[in-house]
Amino acid sequence: MIDVEQLVKTYGRVTAVDGVSFRVEGGEVVALLGPNGAGKSTTIKAITGLLRPTRGRVTVGGHDLESSPLEAKALLGYVPDRPYLYQKLTGRELLRFLARLRRVADGEARADRWLTHFGLQRSANELIETYSHGMRQKLTFAAALLHDPPALVIDEPMVGLDPRAAHDVRRLMRQHADEGGAVLLTTHSMDVAEAVSDRVLLLDRGVIAAEGRLEDLRHSIGRADASLEAIFLQLTEEASAPVEP
Amino acid sequence: MTLLAMRLRGAWNGISRAPGRYLFGAVLLSGVFVGVLAATRHGVRFLEDYPAIGTIAGAIEQRSLEALFTVLMLAVAFSVLTGAIATLYGSHDLPFLLSLPVAPARVFSLKVVETYVNSALLPALFTVPVLVGLGIEHAAPPAYYLIALAALLALYALPVALGALVALVLMRVAPAGRAKEVATAASVALAAGLVLGMRALRPERLNQLTPTQFEEALKRFAELKVGWLPSTWAGEAVWRALQGQVAVSAAVLAVVSVALLAGVARVAAAAYRAGWFRSLDAVTRPGRVGALPAAVWERPLARLGPQGGVVVKDLRLLARDPAQWSQILVLVALAGVYFISTSSLATELQGLRDVVGALNLVFLGFLLAGVGIRTAFPLVSLEGEGFWLLRTGPLRARQIVLAKFWGSLPAMLLLGGGLGLAVADRLGVSGPLTLASPIAGLCAGLAMTGLGVGLGAAFPRFDAASPAEVPLSTGGLLYMALSIGYAVLATLVWAYPSYRTLRSPGTFQWTSAEGLAVLGAVTLLTVLWTVVPLVYGSARLDRYESGVG
Repeated sequence: MIDVEQLVKTYGRVTAVDGVSFRVEGGEVVALLGPNGAGKSTTIKAITGLLRPTRGRVTVGGHDLESSPLEAKALLGYVPDRPYLYQKLTGRELLRFLARLRRVADGEARADRWLTHFGLQRSANELIETYSHGMRQKLTFAAALLHDPPALVIDEPMVGLDPRAAHDVRRLMRQHADEGGAVLLTTHSMDVAEAVSDRVLLLDRGVIAAEGRLEDLRHSIGRADASLEAIFLQLTEEASAPVEP
Repeated sequence: MTLLAMRLRGAWNGISRAPGRYLFGAVLLSGVFVGVLAATRHGVRFLEDYPAIGTIAGAIEQRSLEALFTVLMLAVAFSVLTGAIATLYGSHDLPFLLSLPVAPARVFSLKVVETYVNSALLPALFTVPVLVGLGIEHAAPPAYYLIALAALLALYALPVALGALVALVLMRVAPAGRAKEVATAASVALAAGLVLGMRALRPERLNQLTPTQFEEALKRFAELKVGWLPSTWAGEAVWRALQGQVAVSAAVLAVVSVALLAGVARVAAAAYRAGWFRSLDAVTRPGRVGALPAAVWERPLARLGPQGGVVVKDLRLLARDPAQWSQILVLVALAGVYFISTSSLATELQGLRDVVGALNLVFLGFLLAGVGIRTAFPLVSLEGEGFWLLRTGPLRARQIVLAKFWGSLPAMLLLGGGLGLAVADRLGVSGPLTLASPIAGLCAGLAMTGLGVGLGAAFPRFDAASPAEVPLSTGGLLYMALSIGYAVLATLVWAYPSYRTLRSPGTFQWTSAEGLAVLGAVTLLTVLWTVVPLVYGSARLDRYESGVG
């Protein structure tokens, strides 16, 4: 569903992402992990069209983001790490606006469904500026799911969510994949990644340092009982260790 | 100083990341500087050499300088209150700064400096070449330039300090959650008061004077002294410095400015933090629960597809954001003043009415250029940090730009065409000008919308704290230069039918070959100024990368 081929992104002399390739198929949740500055956000922004790759290609559902951006973006739902929304719209108005933007036929009914799902129906007619951070994050999820996208891209999904909402979001991501959708998420929470992902991509200094199912990664470090956190620490430590002369 | 140094370092990093953009802005500013300098020097020489007023030329120059200071000081006051509220209480870095172990008054001081730069930098930059021109023409000593610059900075510090003080008070006394709205309403009332005050001077009376009376009026103007006005102090300080002297008024201006700033700092030490907490309050009304259908007025627009959806969203935000609707109110007030002022120049003589009607064709272009920078230019930037919603949606940059264009065009056409029609009707101009006036207004409205939206998309400022801050950019300067270019070229085109109407009344016909040629030239000019910026803006916005550059 999401295909990233030899993605390179440079900012002046700095190469943030250097030849990254991976695929997220329908029916799976893939966690993109990595230390700060590894290139996760740059990769996510390139997939959602917020950045233009210096080299390489991103396709969504077979549509090239460069040559067919509208078709590609129509298949994506995106939840950014910081939920900046129009402060002077109400939650309902925001969803109505996005339904029009994405030409969702039964936008009103879908908006109601997601507002109810995230427990926002009582504040749906309030201005977003009065929402707490967690409510905004929930509304962003509702906005991303409004058009029933086959591919979801989620940047730090649990920031600001209360335990119940965090639990709901985990279930929702899993459910989305189980129904045939593709989910790509970045997170610093190893627990979340371990709980919901089918595969893990470990990005470090702009390149993929490791990739595979949890068992594969355990095997690669030779520790059958290692947690994802232990794997992460070992692999990123190895990558950052100075080379012996 | 640490906070200020941090801010300056940030600004410098911004410049070094995109030096080309700032270099382009510097070139544009240099062009404006050279133009104003040349105009000042020419004006001074004209006054000095003119036989009838040569003896009082110095006094007229001084009064003109004071008038310039007054107008620009009022212009700063005009925008400073909303700017102060936005900067002092709405800046994105405030949560970080106020969590640092530094006194809130120091954070406040930094924000006052930012308010000064946002509100007074452009007026100051336009005043500097005037002062330099005066210095050159009067062969002023080197100390003059230092004193003049200091007087200029001190003068504009006064409205900024007062604006900051009023913002402090409003944030403490306005109802919780309503402080920004109350401050904006106060600002609009102040602006409307200033416009009405300027209008109360009735400058059209000069039109009714005989040459002798006009000379007498000039003499009175030369003798006019309003000692209590800070602009008079600044004018006096500059004038005496031209002769190598330091005026008492320079000291008065410096003392008042410093005292006011110190007073504001004192108040800030006690009130800033509490006001900041109040500014975080939002109004939560017991709203209606349950599905509210879309408003009736939304539905026809929504049928236009995604672009209609963007227009609906923009209209809702315009109606709810005081920083946006206040701009519209001020502009409506200005348009009203323009209409009344132009209409009051009507006389019994048809020829004179046609002269004013012809001038109206010129002024309409400049007026709509001024309106466009406040309304059309900021539209794309007003998406703010919510731009990602549009960017990640199935919408091309071109569609976003066109949605902004169609959203603002009706208002600009209504203003341009309406003013053109109303002024021509009120003046009772001759046949050809009756048609030319609304066409000039409609064309200028169209061109300024295209230019404003297009350049606003090409040079977006999604981080701007308020719409008034958006034009303070390279794109804003480019807009000003190109809008003046349009007004000048349109003036050249309209000059022909105006000349024919004034010279040989009744001989010019719009249906003749020359009439059609004029209409064709205006159409071509307008289409160029509309389409090229929109295409350019769409292409630049398409390449825009979130969080980069």
